[in-house]
Amino acid sequence: MAVGVPAVEASGLVKRFGGLIAVDHVDLRVDVGEVYGILGPNGAGKTTFLRMLFGLIRPDAGTLRVFGRTWGDAGPSMLDGVAGFIESPRFYPYLSGRRNLDLLAGLDGGGADSRIDEVLDVVDLAGRAGDKVGGYSFGMRQRLGVAASLLRDPQLLVLDEPANGLDPAGIRDMRALVTRLAAGGLTVLLSSHNMDEVEEICDNVTIMRTGRVVYHGSINQLRAQAPDPSHRLVTSDDAQALRLGADHPAVSVSAHPDGGLALRAQPADADAYILALGQAGVAVRALHLEVAPLESLFFMLTESDPAAGFDVPAQTQPDTLTGATS
Amino acid sequence: MTIPATTATAPVPPATIDLRPVGRGRVVTAYRWEITKLAAQARTRATLAVCLVAPFVFVVLLDRQDRLPKDTLYGRWVHASGFATPLMILGFAAQWVFPLLTSLVAGDIFASEDQHGTWKTILTRSHSRTQIFWAKTLAAATFATLVLTVLALSCLAAGVLLVGHQPLESLSGTLLPSGRTAGLVLAAWASALPPLLGFTALGIMLSVLTRSSPMGIVGPIVLGLVMQLYAFLNGADTIRHLLLVTPFDAWHGLLAAHPYYGPLRDGTLVSVGYILICLAVAYTALRRRDITGG
Repeated sequence: MAVGVPAVEASGLVKRFGGLIAVDHVDLRVDVGEVYGILGPNGAGKTTFLRMLFGLIRPDAGTLRVFGRTWGDAGPSMLDGVAGFIESPRFYPYLSGRRNLDLLAGLDGGGADSRIDEVLDVVDLAGRAGDKVGGYSFGMRQRLGVAASLLRDPQLLVLDEPANGLDPAGIRDMRALVTRLAAGGLTVLLSSHNMDEVEEICDNVTIMRTGRVVYHGSINQLRAQAPDPSHRLVTSDDAQALRLGADHPAVSVSAHPDGGLALRAQPADADAYILALGQAGVAVRALHLEVAPLESLFFMLTESDPAAGFDVPAQTQPDTLTGATS
Repeated sequence: MTIPATTATAPVPPATIDLRPVGRGRVVTAYRWEITKLAAQARTRATLAVCLVAPFVFVVLLDRQDRLPKDTLYGRWVHASGFATPLMILGFAAQWVFPLLTSLVAGDIFASEDQHGTWKTILTRSHSRTQIFWAKTLAAATFATLVLTVLALSCLAAGVLLVGHQPLESLSGTLLPSGRTAGLVLAAWASALPPLLGFTALGIMLSVLTRSSPMGIVGPIVLGLVMQLYAFLNGADTIRHLLLVTPFDAWHGLLAAHPYYGPLRDGTLVSVGYILICLAVAYTALRRRDITGG
């Protein structure tokens, strides 16, 4: 691999299914060592992009390079050094986890079989490796999918919704696993529809909507551009609380459609407002964070009208939030 | 502020589809992987075990019967010469046993990946569809050849060990010496390989097209029986010669006093035709199909 060659580089990538444009002129670059997230709601084109990356389908236009190689130049060798899974990983249910890995190691060659014990340890499946995969839980299969990927000793790990379908403990374990792998220097490309997941794990992110890129940049940039957190506030006197809100220009208080008040403010401003409520004799009975700042921005980016562009509230206008794919 | 939609980049030529020659090294790797997978399946091992043991059981049961299967070729000789047993079983096996034995693997080898949803698992590991196709096809052909070999040797061993190696009467009525008969018996079984591989290709095609293991396994048997029925009803001779079951009878020429090889040659050509057509259809279908869901 040449120095400076990105792990993944997509340029003007287009994929159509009949009249539907699933991926629409997507440009994307994942540098070596990055943990990169592709974020978007269902149908945004994330999985279609990953299918093209793995050579399962061909782009209708544009180029997609993996470590500088294209499918046209290198054929299946394009995937050398790449591992991962699309949607949920699948195995032969009548064989044990270890036997499945054994088989895949045989397909990979290159001494992959000598890594079986090691990768089973990494995903914490060594104790259940002898059990048939048919009896595995969804989370165990996801972890076995990661183990099967690590068998290839990849330089790039591609995971499509790795926490999808997992229970909270499984989600926590999966995120910890990916974080651990990334800390070891592995380049990770992760697709998700969960902002929290991407925020927790990734350095950079591309947000997609109906096949198009609506944002890409670092998570830190995105965080800085996020709107204020949105809370639902229930008080002993909502009318009085609403009036007090007018005295605090840094907070936005309005009636909540489900009762109580909607409070949108930065944490420090919200604190000041809550203290003011107490001083005015208004008791706070409940304060729930409804939409986290990044999640709120994600919704703005992915739910506004693409024909007219994506309107972002004035207070959150970021100079870098161009939506262009550069 | 308005965030503009994704900017279109300069037009680029469409990505090309991989039409490069097949990477032989990766086909060999995938072939080994498929063979290992087959070896791990209880069904495969059970089939081979049955092929090994069944002829002995068959001969023992036949030996205890007074009535001989006289309506089967060489059936009347099964008590007189051990060489008659493998020939009688060969004639019987052609009806549905051979299609069944080969389609147990060939009819399942592609469809099982659909059934388990493992296509993506395989194809995301630096192997193309072309490589996987040839690896699986070779594995299915290997299994068919192995089954035929095991069954042939087992039948010959069962006949010779349990009945004896007496001379056998040829189809022309002359006696064939024991040493020559053993070679003729093995040659007769070997002549079943081309049509057997034809049924293997048929099973592969059905496995790819239907994505269903039951259809892939049962389909060749049903088609074989339909062909048998057509031949039995004395249908048009030209069509009968083009049926895949006809080459199974080509060995009759070897057992004549004056051997003739025309049916062997024609049968081999017909079998090769089936193999080429079925594999071409299967290959094209596999290359074109959408397997992103599986």
